[in-house]
Amino acid sequence: MTTNLKTTYLTDKKFPFCPGCGHGISINALNKALQELSYDPKDIIVVSDIGCSGLIDPLFATHTIHGLHGRSPALGLGVAMGVAQKQNKKVIAFIGDGGATIGLQHILEAARRNIDMTLIVLNNLLYGMTGGQISGLSTQKYKEIIDFEKDVPPFDLIQLTHASGARFAVRVNAPNKIKDTLKKAIETEGFSIVEAASLCPSYGMKRMNELMEVVENENILEHKRPATKIVDQETPSLIEQSQVIETKFDAGLKKRKGIIIAGSAGGGAQSVARFLAIAGMYAGLNTTMKGEYPITVGTGFSVAEVIFDHKPINYTGLDKPDYFIIVTEDGLNKVKPKLHRDAKIYIDEKLVTDDLRYAFPELIVVPFSKMANRKSTALAAATYVLNKEQILPIEALKEAVGTHRLKDVFVDVIDKVTV
Amino acid sequence: MKTKTSTKTLIDGSKLMIEALVQAGADTFVAYPITPSNWMYKYGKQRFPQFYAAPDEITTFQWMAGMSAAGRLPATSSAFPGIALMVESINMAYAMELPLIVIITQRLGPSTGSATTGAQGDLAILNGIISGGYPVPVFSPSSFEDAWELSVRAVKTAVKFRTPVFLLTSKEMVMYQKSFDLSKLKPITKVERQKPKIEGEYLPYKADESLVPPFLPLGNEEHLVRITASTHDEAANIRKNDPEALANTRRLRDKFLNRIDELTIYNLDKQEGAKDLIVTWGITADAARDALLSLRQKGKKVDMLVVKSLLPVAPVIYDIIDRYDKVVIAEENLTGQYKEILYGNRPIKHIKQVNKMGNMIHPQEIIDAVL
Repeated sequence: MTTNLKTTYLTDKKFPFCPGCGHGISINALNKALQELSYDPKDIIVVSDIGCSGLIDPLFATHTIHGLHGRSPALGLGVAMGVAQKQNKKVIAFIGDGGATIGLQHILEAARRNIDMTLIVLNNLLYGMTGGQISGLSTQKYKEIIDFEKDVPPFDLIQLTHASGARFAVRVNAPNKIKDTLKKAIETEGFSIVEAASLCPSYGMKRMNELMEVVENENILEHKRPATKIVDQETPSLIEQSQVIETKFDAGLKKRKGIIIAGSAGGGAQSVARFLAIAGMYAGLNTTMKGEYPITVGTGFSVAEVIFDHKPINYTGLDKPDYFIIVTEDGLNKVKPKLHRDAKIYIDEKLVTDDLRYAFPELIVVPFSKMANRKSTALAAATYVLNKEQILPIEALKEAVGTHRLKDVFVDVIDKVTV
Repeated sequence: MKTKTSTKTLIDGSKLMIEALVQAGADTFVAYPITPSNWMYKYGKQRFPQFYAAPDEITTFQWMAGMSAAGRLPATSSAFPGIALMVESINMAYAMELPLIVIITQRLGPSTGSATTGAQGDLAILNGIISGGYPVPVFSPSSFEDAWELSVRAVKTAVKFRTPVFLLTSKEMVMYQKSFDLSKLKPITKVERQKPKIEGEYLPYKADESLVPPFLPLGNEEHLVRITASTHDEAANIRKNDPEALANTRRLRDKFLNRIDELTIYNLDKQEGAKDLIVTWGITADAARDALLSLRQKGKKVDMLVVKSLLPVAPVIYDIIDRYDKVVIAEENLTGQYKEILYGNRPIKHIKQVNKMGNMIHPQEIIDAVL
């Protein structure tokens, strides 16, 4: 479709704005800017949200999407990401000063991402639909006039978006500059923002000269960074990357067994549990592996559960573990409530107290911490218990560590324990 | 290590769901990190053709809605604290009729609660998540096979019904690993999005008897598209409460309820002559399977209904439950949220509830309730 100055990007609907409202000036300026840039209306997507600025939705004879208050920069960026790989598409989002206050994070995020789109902020200094309340963009001078939060400065969207990486950020007050400013913004590849100050005759400024007195600092700030391009990545199947495990050994165990490994962060309990689960599979068993640790993953306890069974495992809870392998104090404190006399409790010699001996007379005390360094104690302990209890062949455990980058270290630990 | 004979691996539900979503046609993952969705985030980044790290959950959903309106098929995963932030945006996408997928990994609430403890406590929220009481499709995997298949169903449903779809799972399904036979995974056919044939003017919310309007993306070359979340008529003109706009709003409910059979997924494990029924969903189904096995070994005749499409409630669920003299509904939350959705707060004589919070329900607790 060819376009010329007769192409309109507006429907025949009457502007819904109050007499004297400045929003209509920006709408007409955008229409003219698009005419001069000869866009196909089917290449333009106008995004709007709630408030007086949102009343523009029915006015545009382009693609339109009309969403939630304060969210048009995010919704618009989503559309921009979605059409980024198509030719010549232009996303133009509108927001008011109230919406910009809600959606400030969205605006800064769009600025730093610098994906091609234009945001037009219709700043009439206040909330027009709900009674003239002030917004985060209401200017200092205006607030002095109405004597309302005059000591709280407004957000300077142009400086904020510039600092965040916007390619083109402009505040424009004079109505006769809006069209050319919008043209430049739309032609800019990347994120552009145009803040157009305007009148709200119902609650705020009644005359243009009043507005010009309170809204100062027309500002143009630019970056040279190129617009962010979007491409689809080719990615391999996660399933095809999964390690397939075949049965190579016979399992020693006769019926379902549950093991708890209780250590500290960084001590390898989680990796060891995974090795045990894989070793169980090499021995033809069904297995589950579950880890528990504080949200601060780098400190405190690290507890892992492993279940082995010849039969399929449905319920994965481990309420009465058969074996405890306790290598650190953090681990002991965490699993203490679960300890029971029917279980075999293997514990590092340093952790044994009289109270613990009294409660569990059949504690099996082993110098785990002397068998390997701190990072490998859990592996040494698990190897010791596996070997002692004949749950799985040690060869299955060696096979399980075989794909790890530290396999030589691990095999060495296993060999030393089982000598 | 790889052999031709074995198809067994150690795997988790997160990996299965992400892989199935991508194979089914979801193409963009947007998320803000939250426990217990961490593995989804990790796999989502590895596997989706596009991945975006959003600065918060409201942005997450807004980006997804924009992408969906432009023709992509986005997915996210989160937990209650993130879902709470998304609620207004979920309503927006629902009213706009945008296909997208939301995975919820349930954790113990209220509020921040306990991030690494599983739960089944967010069903009641989904039942009322759309202002005005409109239904959203909610699927809940009860096994790794379900994690795979329901993810595909979610993609299909999102496209077919032009709607957000929820996959309601739990920490215990997506953050533990289990030996699993990959040959149990059914091959996935990618959901192809047919370009609708539009004769004459395109009205973005005019639906035929399917009650689902044909979808054209923003920016397409053939027809101008208007999309809105405000109350609107077939042409997406914003209207207040005029009859045409209200009819369009009512359609948002009817499109699901009139085609409920296409949204209904369950498994009924039957035994000749059983008068007792265990009803369950999600992670508690594993305990129920063990309970069922144990009860049957003891000679007790009992059936089990695992509900996989929780919302909207299908009439067949009532039909099945009504056949039994005694029903045990087991779910890991304080009050029995699915039971309350089915029957309200009032106790029902022949229905027993097994509820728990902070820990998974043990098979023995279900056995005790049946006996």
